[in-house]
Amino acid sequence: MIWELLALLGIYAYVSIASLLYAGIDRKLVARMQRRIGPPILQPFYDFLKLASKETIVPNTANFMFKASPILMLATTIALLAYTPIGFKPLFATKGDIIVFIYLLTLADFFLVLGAISSGNPYAKVGASREIALLASREPAMMLGVFTVMWALSKHGVEKPFSLANLYEHNIWEFGPMAWVGGAVLIYVFMTWLASEVEAGFFNVPEAEQEIAEGPLVEYSGRYLAIIKLAESLKEFIAASLVVAILFPWGIEMPGLEGYVVNLLIHTAKVFAVLFVAKTVFRAVTGRLRVTEAVNLLWTRVFSASLVASLIIAMGVVM
Amino acid sequence: MKKVEYWVKIPFGPIHPGLEEPEKFILTLDGESIVNVDVKLGYNLRGIQWIAMRRNYVQIMYLAERICGICSFSHNHTYVRAVEEMAGIEVPERAEYIRVIIGELERIHSHLLNLGVIGHDIGYDTVLHLTWLAREKVMDVLEAISGNRVNYSMITIGGVRRDINEKRKRLILEMIEYYKKIMPQIEDIFLHDSTIEARLRDVATAPKKLALEMGAVGPTGRGSGIKEDARWSEGLGVYPDLGVKPILPQDVTGEKARGDVYDRVAVRIGELWQSLELIERALDQMPEGKIKTFPKDNVLLAKLKVMADGEGIGRYEAPRGELVHYVRGQKGKDGPLRWKMREPTFPNLFTIAKALEGNQLADVVVAIASIDPCLSCTDRVAVVKDGKRTILTEKDLLKLSIEKTREINPNIRGDPTPAGLGCLRGGLL
Repeated sequence: MIWELLALLGIYAYVSIASLLYAGIDRKLVARMQRRIGPPILQPFYDFLKLASKETIVPNTANFMFKASPILMLATTIALLAYTPIGFKPLFATKGDIIVFIYLLTLADFFLVLGAISSGNPYAKVGASREIALLASREPAMMLGVFTVMWALSKHGVEKPFSLANLYEHNIWEFGPMAWVGGAVLIYVFMTWLASEVEAGFFNVPEAEQEIAEGPLVEYSGRYLAIIKLAESLKEFIAASLVVAILFPWGIEMPGLEGYVVNLLIHTAKVFAVLFVAKTVFRAVTGRLRVTEAVNLLWTRVFSASLVASLIIAMGVVM
Repeated sequence: MKKVEYWVKIPFGPIHPGLEEPEKFILTLDGESIVNVDVKLGYNLRGIQWIAMRRNYVQIMYLAERICGICSFSHNHTYVRAVEEMAGIEVPERAEYIRVIIGELERIHSHLLNLGVIGHDIGYDTVLHLTWLAREKVMDVLEAISGNRVNYSMITIGGVRRDINEKRKRLILEMIEYYKKIMPQIEDIFLHDSTIEARLRDVATAPKKLALEMGAVGPTGRGSGIKEDARWSEGLGVYPDLGVKPILPQDVTGEKARGDVYDRVAVRIGELWQSLELIERALDQMPEGKIKTFPKDNVLLAKLKVMADGEGIGRYEAPRGELVHYVRGQKGKDGPLRWKMREPTFPNLFTIAKALEGNQLADVVVAIASIDPCLSCTDRVAVVKDGKRTILTEKDLLKLSIEKTREINPNIRGDPTPAGLGCLRGGLL
């Protein structure tokens, strides 16, 4: 138990640094794509430290949840790290940890929304309603994709299929040509879901600085804003980790502590690559959709693709 | 089941990250749909006309130029035309051609700036950087010609201050070649990119009827299908010889005008192409000769003291739309008695406010950006009296105007209320 808590603390520290580092890399890459110099790569660290030392202003119209939400969001995100595959099986892997993972991922967003509507600012309320609309639209496609993979694993004899730990022993690509086709479709599904999760490109709808002044974050400042920004960075890494674990789980067989370190680094590289496609490139080459169009896209294309992938994989299993 | 309507009012501005200048829109929303838009102005009063009443004709040129950082030439030019009309001053033909060149260079950089802002407002920052990078070239040329990127001070009453020699001519021609290379890319992005098309089509649609009712001008009016351009309808200077004409959306897209943001963007792209043509023709047709009627400003001022008497109106198609300046002078004075401007943003703002009804909240910023508003040019008088602040309405202004007239000439008969205007008019007749 003590060992696991210490490990969680270490993972939290590592993922914080890695995710903020990627945020810096992301800004630099997008700036270069736009033929600008861009900020230094360590800028997100400077931003975090500066925000942490700045004044925190609480609106008169805010209630207690305004202050509680950032902390709850970060706490949920840290708890989520215990169930996140990061090159090796999750710390708290059990027979149903994917369910807990999805639940906690949604809960973190939920706390952000609670904080937004507690601020009393009309822009925050609009941002909160947009966040909920997108959340309700992207999760079904992701869940259908994940459960299809888990179901396929169970049909091929894997015990405790609803555990993320299995993905490092068996994965969707082992099950023949039909699974390859379904997996290819799932790549589209998960990448679009990830773009929506990190609010890149088309899906930069809840914050939408030019429209609603950063929406849910409009009233946050100082320490609370720093906490939310950190939690959002962590959540990006965690969401990308899910995509990597399901679609690109391969690592290196190596014993002992060295094995964990090497696989963690390999996983981080894969997460960066996945985020590069789903976030960096996507937001550099597209603009933002309206909330109605984003919701429509998630249902008519992404959910449909998820459904198609499920049917293809199911046919592969049945045949 | 009857639908329960729950409307919420959102103050959009005066300080908002999506707005470049202080203005306020009270949005009434039903969910994300806009039920009503109220426009409130008066946050950017700078007292320019008040300052002008303490300056002479030459000094006011520099003041006019600083009304706006983007259409600085347009304001200066329109003011100067008003003074020239009042004083009956002829402008050398070469100077007219140089004015066309500078005016079109300004239109190019203004339109590129606005296209970038529209891209930014839909979250497409890459096109912002693309167009603003392209804009650097024309600003370099303006700097080479006038010594300044923004406030060129090129124009003077009776002509222009600097000539365009062979070296500068070559620079301009190189710039034209550069833009002919990159314009297809810019046009392709703004007219055919699926994201931009999804965001700009059918947004803030102002049908021709609405645009006419509201008096929309410039790309906003032409985007709705109104065939109007002050350079063309006024027969301004040498513009008729260069073949200027109003650019309508169908000239660019081939489709009938709908009056949405997409059509306004299309008009601007068409005008960019036309500006390049006009500059090329102006350079080609420009005759030799003097560039100004009065070589020195002190001579100019002395002449104006004698010649400036009566009224003058200048009309010009600024990048945002028709710009009108009015001056009134009196013999023996070295500055005008009155100087007034009518800017294109004022009617365009109310057009867009009406057109936004039925749209979504996400469309507000890009719709406002599509009329290329300039509050520096537009803002009206706000009166602060006994600590209370009121915005003058049309009735208030009319009443004040009548009272002012009565002050000037106590013998005028008639009722000083707005209803009495007819009597006043009858009396004048």
